[in-house]
Amino acid sequence: MKTAALLALCLLGPSPVWADARPSGELTVALSSFATEVLDPVLGGHGVKFYLALIFDYLIGVTPDGQLSPDLGIATAWEPSADHKRWTFTLRRGVRFHNGDELTSSDVKWSLLRAISKRSTTGYAGVLRALLQDIETPAPDRVVIVTKEPTLVIPPYLSRALSSEGMILPRKYVEAVGDDMFAQKPIGSGPYRFVEQVTGSHVKLEAVERHWRLGTPKYRIVTFRVVPEEATRMAMVRRGDVDVADVSRDRVREMERAGFPVYYRNNDALLHLWWILPWDRVPVRDKRVREALNLAIDRREIAATIFGGKAEPAGVPFGLTWGFRDVRWRNAETDQYPFDPARARKLLAEAGYPRGFPISIFAYQLPALPEGKEMAEAVSGYWQKIGVQPKLIPVDYPAFRKQWVDRAAPGAVGYYNLPNRDWIGTYTLLEKFAHTPSKPTDTVADPEIDGMLEAILRETDREKINVFMRRIFARLRSEHYGVPLVYLHTPYVTSKRIAHWNPGSVMLDLNIDELAAQR
Amino acid sequence: MKRPPVVSAAIILGFVLLALLADVVSPGDPYEQTLRARFTPPAWEAHGSWTHPLGTDRLGRDLLSRIIFGARVSLAAGVVTVLLAGFIGAGVGLVAGYHRGRVGAILMRVTDATLAFPIILLALILAVTVGPSFTNVVIAIAVILWARYARVIHGEVLALMEREFIAQARVIGCSAGRIIVVHLLPNTLNTLIVLLTLQVGYVIIVEASLSFLGAGIPPPAPAWGSMVAEGRDVITTAWWVSFFPGLAILLVVLAFNLFGDWLRDVLDPKLRQQ
Amino acid sequence: MARFLLTRLIQSVATLVLLSLVIFVLARATGDPLTLILPMVATEEDFANARRYLGLDQPLHVQYLMFVGKAAAGDFGTSIRARRPVIELLRQRLPSSLALGAFSMAVSLLIAFPLGVLAAVRKGTALDTGAKIVAALGQALPTFWVGIVLIEIVAGRLQWLPAGGNDSPAHYILPGFTLGWFVIAGLMRLLRSSMLEVLDSDYVKTARAKGAGEPAVVWRHALKNALIPVVTFAGVYFAILVTTAIVVETVFAWPGMGRLAYEAITARDFPVIQAVVLVTAVIVVAVNLVVDSLYACIDPRIRIDPRRP
Repeated sequence: MKTAALLALCLLGPSPVWADARPSGELTVALSSFATEVLDPVLGGHGVKFYLALIFDYLIGVTPDGQLSPDLGIATAWEPSADHKRWTFTLRRGVRFHNGDELTSSDVKWSLLRAISKRSTTGYAGVLRALLQDIETPAPDRVVIVTKEPTLVIPPYLSRALSSEGMILPRKYVEAVGDDMFAQKPIGSGPYRFVEQVTGSHVKLEAVERHWRLGTPKYRIVTFRVVPEEATRMAMVRRGDVDVADVSRDRVREMERAGFPVYYRNNDALLHLWWILPWDRVPVRDKRVREALNLAIDRREIAATIFGGKAEPAGVPFGLTWGFRDVRWRNAETDQYPFDPARARKLLAEAGYPRGFPISIFAYQLPALPEGKEMAEAVSGYWQKIGVQPKLIPVDYPAFRKQWVDRAAPGAVGYYNLPNRDWIGTYTLLEKFAHTPSKPTDTVADPEIDGMLEAILRETDREKINVFMRRIFARLRSEHYGVPLVYLHTPYVTSKRIAHWNPGSVMLDLNIDELAAQR
Repeated sequence: MKRPPVVSAAIILGFVLLALLADVVSPGDPYEQTLRARFTPPAWEAHGSWTHPLGTDRLGRDLLSRIIFGARVSLAAGVVTVLLAGFIGAGVGLVAGYHRGRVGAILMRVTDATLAFPIILLALILAVTVGPSFTNVVIAIAVILWARYARVIHGEVLALMEREFIAQARVIGCSAGRIIVVHLLPNTLNTLIVLLTLQVGYVIIVEASLSFLGAGIPPPAPAWGSMVAEGRDVITTAWWVSFFPGLAILLVVLAFNLFGDWLRDVLDPKLRQQ
Repeated sequence: MARFLLTRLIQSVATLVLLSLVIFVLARATGDPLTLILPMVATEEDFANARRYLGLDQPLHVQYLMFVGKAAAGDFGTSIRARRPVIELLRQRLPSSLALGAFSMAVSLLIAFPLGVLAAVRKGTALDTGAKIVAALGQALPTFWVGIVLIEIVAGRLQWLPAGGNDSPAHYILPGFTLGWFVIAGLMRLLRSSMLEVLDSDYVKTARAKGAGEPAVVWRHALKNALIPVVTFAGVYFAILVTTAIVVETVFAWPGMGRLAYEAITARDFPVIQAVVLVTAVIVVAVNLVVDSLYACIDPRIRIDPRRP
């Protein structure tokens, strides 16, 4: 591939001065799976932000470490009214879609309404639907979002930090060609335009000559490939066919030793286990049992062995560190669970289970968690050592999810690697996982936490919100509402020609922008 | 290949004994995990030790113990599946061959339909619906494998029906059931035995592929196929995790195939066509 | 001959109808796809809407009839996961599967043929033993393992050949070989044993006695007769190829039907599951039909005997 490009360059003769700035060459990213393979943001696009964010622009952009930024989105400024029920956005001028149409407030309004329509399956459509009252477009470069309740959440929800509702779509184009055609041949205003997609294989994008977000992109073609088998992915990196690939924690050392640069998304996710509700007839209803099950696990050993050292022990249920940072929660030593099987056995005996009890553990793999089943087996092993009788139930995630939301297996254990996210994302997560009226995905059933979550929704003072969030974390921890296992670092191996890269700390995003920007 | 297959028979016998005497012969517990000892190399390598003669897997479990107990799981899977499929297949083949009319036609259409269904897809669907388990693997494979035997037996029966002694039996007034069981079945038994022997290895290989896709015999059971599948990501670093169970599969499958070839030569040379 | 073909054709159609019913039931049995495509925060109302939108709220027998009717016309519905017409997914993926299958079959024949025949002709020599070893290994190693080892060594370390995707002709070699590995072994053993039998037959002995040249004897008569069982089993081997393809396609990231089926089953995407299994079945049944017809050409006895299956 490289020799061909060199040959081509030679044949073309001396290039005119401006051609140095033209995008050239190809960047290929290979991932073990795509959560979905859609091209339309409202059809579950939040799972594939890494390529959609190149095709589309967001209303509000974020820096690689997740801070909202007026330089990286369509909105150059935004501010709330005094009562926090009207948010006014000033839009960037002169942005064009790939078909030449100009991006105006009418597109913003239309995109947002589409994102919360019945058809949409994005992450936060439901929440936004409940919040939005009206959208006004007083000028082509001004949008006002009116909410039913005073709230702070509008800018983050419409930003690149969370889901895909904030992506701006070309109203005239979609209305002209229809939703189905748009879902096959999307057009956005982002630095890369869509070229082709072969489902199960790849998505190919081509650079737009000059873009307000990246200037002139460095690579002419960016291709995202799905390559499930790790041996194949690594062979492609070795051969230079692929520039960026995710790599399992087991295999990272091998690639590092072979001289390939490896970049980490640290604390990319929290691996958290929970017990399916309701608990009234199972041993975990007793707080001591929950504590015992936590104390029985040697998190350091799991982090060092199964996760190859690319993980840190976790101590707070749903303790997403980027959320901690925002609400100023300090991770204390006392929050960590010591490895204390003796005390665990004692607690079990106190709670009335000196000879343990049977417990089911669902074992499954997850997209960024190839170690899923291994981890479940390991946890099972630790619990066996304190007298519990664990039974592993191998399933795939959809099968587990059904058991979980149908509440068909009370007391059984499930888990997920929760992507790290800022405080609003954390709040929404808690709203789903720890809020009883939000069943069926509740895993906690605690009225005190319910009250605090509802209070946050009505609050507009950041400091007060932070207080509530800290109290929620404290209670989750003191009541042992779950087994927070480890924070996972996700490694990405790159080809030797990638000089440096910050994969960023934005949920489900890889900051390909940085690789694609001209240096 | 008229020489008696001493080596294959010895290998088969050896593994069967291992399976039966696993509790006694195995040096350790195939389920005990020691995370700190994960991916220990075999004893003769640097960092290896004789507590784990063949090394350990990704959870620190002793590989040798798992292979010995795995003989139980994998052999059972192979034999049970093949017996089940053989039973159904022979039954269908016999009945379809005897009742050549509509019954026969319907049965053969069902057989053809079954033959056209990919085993692996069915196993995947079962794994996803009901969950992977030893039983489901056996059922998923047997439910399609029988069709192959049915076809072969059916052909045999058609040829047999031409023979005099069948016509005589009917003249005498023997019932269909009696003819099938007493006259037809014994004459197809040879074919069946050869087929089944040759297919045990195939089932073990299919189980390995199913494990690779997540539909095989689930952990922590020490099935050879899932052990090979589990070790595939570390083939270049912890080669022993896949190699030794793979070697076990290789030996057992080879042994069954060679033994089956010899059986075929001895029992029914006509079968060389199959 | 025409009467024979007609009978077989009708039988094939009956088989397919039977299969369609089984496929329909099985696909539905995999579970509710909505839990997968709807986000975790979805409400009951969202589920009801989605169900209505995707046509999943009709009674089962209505769904089945709609499935069959549309399938006959080439409309397999819309993929629940990709939200695209299934026929479009098939159009993208079927050609690459067929291409790989054809390449594999060709490779298998090219390798199995000479090896099988030569092994028979030179029975007992080193070549024969070597061929037997190759055959044995071919049937005793799991396909995914062969593929991964080839990728690690040939693509990863030696970097002689590419792996992953189907971008260039060179990309066909490793997966094609891996896919055909099992078949090579089987075909070779079959050819060898049937060649041996024919070479041993009276006809050949007589021909030799009459003084016909060795090559003439071998190549003209023996081959023709040795081919018969191979042709019979080509159908079975094709079915094996189709089954094994799912493993090979996953290992080599080959965008074909096998992987489509795997993804669909994982996502409980039953329109796609139904379509893939049905199309696969149609192909297998069609191949069997062709094979049986070829067999009838070679062996006229079957045509006359209506009782053969």
